[in-house]
Amino acid sequence: MKRQLALIRFALGSARRRAGRSFALAVALGLVTFALSAVLFLTEALRREFRLAAAALPDLTVQQLAAGRPALIAETHRASIAALPGVVSVQPRVWGYYFVPSLSGNFTVVGVETGSETVRRDLSLVMLKGRLPRPGASGEVVMGEALATFLGLDLDDAITLPVGRAEKRLQLVGLFRSEVALWTADVILMSLADAREFLQVPPGQATDLAVRLSTPDEATVAARKIAELLPGARIVDRQLKTRTYDLTFDTRGGLLGAMLLPALVAFLVLAWDRLTGVGPGERREIGVLKATGWRTSDVLLARLWENTLIGLYGAGPGILAAYLYVFHARAPGLAGVLLGWSTLYPALRLTPAVDASQVLVLGCLVVLPFVAASLVPAWRAATRDPHGLLRGTA
Amino acid sequence: MRSTTWHRIRPLAWLLLLAAAVGWMLQDAAARRAGQAARAPWVGAVVRLLGAADLALSSASRWLRHPSLTEPGAPFADGPAILDNDPAGAALAPPREVLAGAPEAAQGPARGPRKP
Repeated sequence: MKRQLALIRFALGSARRRAGRSFALAVALGLVTFALSAVLFLTEALRREFRLAAAALPDLTVQQLAAGRPALIAETHRASIAALPGVVSVQPRVWGYYFVPSLSGNFTVVGVETGSETVRRDLSLVMLKGRLPRPGASGEVVMGEALATFLGLDLDDAITLPVGRAEKRLQLVGLFRSEVALWTADVILMSLADAREFLQVPPGQATDLAVRLSTPDEATVAARKIAELLPGARIVDRQLKTRTYDLTFDTRGGLLGAMLLPALVAFLVLAWDRLTGVGPGERREIGVLKATGWRTSDVLLARLWENTLIGLYGAGPGILAAYLYVFHARAPGLAGVLLGWSTLYPALRLTPAVDASQVLVLGCLVVLPFVAASLVPAWRAATRDPHGLLRGTA
Repeated sequence: MRSTTWHRIRPLAWLLLLAAAVGWMLQDAAARRAGQAARAPWVGAVVRLLGAADLALSSASRWLRHPSLTEPGAPFADGPAILDNDPAGAALAPPREVLAGAPEAAQGPARGPRKP
């Protein structure tokens, strides 16, 4: 222990003697670590948000496919699915998208039974301001804050939107909480009748059917039975949705990670270049150490400590800066690249989801190659004749 | 003398500062996780209302807005004037001429909203 402490003290002195080089390496290492950490923090946090929300999803979603894409599904299928063993409820849903060319905005329109007790309880939980839409009242809507701001609406304001050849007047009666903005930023929630009119979904048809099962583990069996009943249907179970999300963020995060790999390689090349050029002062230092009784392993250990400390001083602030950038500054720039084109961006209030093992892997990915790259030149110098090193002839 | 002492303890001070910052980061992360747990009932309610847990990160296309519900290959079905069928689309935007030349019918309703 005493020996290691002495070696660390020597390594610190050594790093201080070459302050310029040590500082440059630590800064480069910090930048690379920052970039990789920011991507990891952001993708993991988004994945965690979806995973937590996925628990409240219906066990199965049944869509009708026509010409290879989702079409409206007849509500008459509800009864045949509900009769299957293990099915607790089948809920036809009316929802869809509404594009406004003049605003270049795509909104998500969702219809709910405004008279249902469950819906009213859930709505009162997630609404920040305003009142619940009255059952039977036409045109009363609840919106996400981002969408209301985008449309320039305050509570009780009304807006008229074109629906085919007609127009529909909507009155904003409530706003969703900002805490659920990740899900509601672009949502207009209205009564089922309004959603049908707005999205032009005829009576007796629905966008999809949400199925809840008594035993969610039997989703695969239930999905197979529904597929036998409705050969043209596409059945998505909750696990499949979670897997899709995982893959989506793996792909996006992986793409960005791959884009950052050249930066990592460039840094390692720089480190290799800087560290292989053992200067005359350094050679003399190693020569003195060897002449005063240091073994090659001692020299290597001192160099190992020196570069580990540089790595720590570089990677540590890099990870901290990435944390501040993603979770406090909300990842300006990176979020845009990762999330894609959009008119409405929710406020990214994310929760860290990275565990210690991932940070360790990240550290190993950056710091270990750096430390390893530094050992080779030190080993080459340390195995030479000390006299030659002192005279400058080795 | 004082400067020599400072010179000696400076690395240790940096290390302590780094450790304190890491400690703060862990505490902040724990507080944010507690906040996330506290808003779990709201998230559950909103997912029950919407019927989907997809994050409203991009409203550009249905396969970006609801990736978990969209059929495979959805980006390819919507034609050449689509805005973004790939995350890289944010970095490499399509030429404006492509959008300008898209038929109006493919862009949706011709009129915009207006306040009464």
